[in-house]
Amino acid sequence: MATLTAEVTGNFDTRGDAKELVYAPLDAPAEFRRTRVYQLEYEGAEADAEAFVRRVLVDAFAEEVHFGGSPALGGYTFYLDYGMKPGALDLEREAILASYRGARNKSIEIASLKLIQRIYLFADGGLEPGRFIRDVCNPAIHVWDVTPARTTGAA
Amino acid sequence: MENQPHALLLKFPGTNCDAETARALEAAGFSAEVVPITRIDEAQLERAQLVVLSGGFSYGDYVMAGRLAQLETERKLGDALTAFRDRGGYLLGICNGFQILTKLGLLPDGSLIHNTSGRFICRWVELEKRGVDNPFLGGLPDTFELPIAHAEGRFVAPGDAPDRYLAEGLVALTYGSDVNGSSCAIAGLSDSTGRVLGLMPHPERFLWKSHHYDPDWESPDGEWGMGYYMFKSIHDTIAA
Repeated sequence: MATLTAEVTGNFDTRGDAKELVYAPLDAPAEFRRTRVYQLEYEGAEADAEAFVRRVLVDAFAEEVHFGGSPALGGYTFYLDYGMKPGALDLEREAILASYRGARNKSIEIASLKLIQRIYLFADGGLEPGRFIRDVCNPAIHVWDVTPARTTGAA
Repeated sequence: MENQPHALLLKFPGTNCDAETARALEAAGFSAEVVPITRIDEAQLERAQLVVLSGGFSYGDYVMAGRLAQLETERKLGDALTAFRDRGGYLLGICNGFQILTKLGLLPDGSLIHNTSGRFICRWVELEKRGVDNPFLGGLPDTFELPIAHAEGRFVAPGDAPDRYLAEGLVALTYGSDVNGSSCAIAGLSDSTGRVLGLMPHPERFLWKSHHYDPDWESPDGEWGMGYYMFKSIHDTIAA
């Protein structure tokens, strides 16, 4: 069983004002960008798994995919990953898997697929992740994880 | 009715504008049939002169608008829609249908991505007719209004392609102002044959004069809205 991590970024996306993410004003200016991360467990050739991602999960004209697991963007203060709780019904994941099950000439067998929404936060000063978690994530259905920028400097 | 053009409306899970689009087509003179994608076969395409992909949120817009509908259409029909066009059939994609036609490669290269505002937009817009000889637009004036309702309506394409589409006459409609960040304000796009049209605005939502937000708006004939003339134009082209 192999694992493939793919992060999809929009070629036409730009940073937005982080106040759009929260319910109350921020103390200092901050910006954000969203990306999507897919974690795929599969049996088969890596090239075929990457081809599946490119064909099904990425827009050829408007998006780029980054394989390997390291963050696609740099210069962030932290990024927030959130997705459906394990065991919760993720309708998007089920729709993708149902589509793949119906496909002809399947080149890989997908054992599991995990969808993660990633939000990069950019700020000159410090930025407290807690309020973004509170206002973006729903504890009833989501799990989340915050990754700060490495002290050696993000990629 | 003899020689009555037949329109086939493909319905996906989440398509929600098929009923009013069928009603608009019937008002313009078509016989209209809504067929779920699970039940479509190539023989049904043989009986149609127009295939319509109406608006909605096929498969919940999961991954990106139109992607799963594209994959299901390719699985069920292969390249039958391309063959349908090549033997003289017409295709119309409205809103989500435009997104699906783009993903299927039946329209010039490009994508419809999230509006620059990042929000769903639901409003009336002014449109400018660019496709001079477009069979879907013949009965429409140079400028007119239609409603829009979309989150992913910003047309983008590689490099200078949008300008090229405009120069080559492939752009059928443009917005009168910057509504969603579309390159060259593209609201509707045609293929090189002119028999495939995709547009983000909803002509079926302006079928009658009374659909207009201004009760004093004057219809050219006192009864119909501007959307009717789009369906009537393609009807008259096919029936001629």
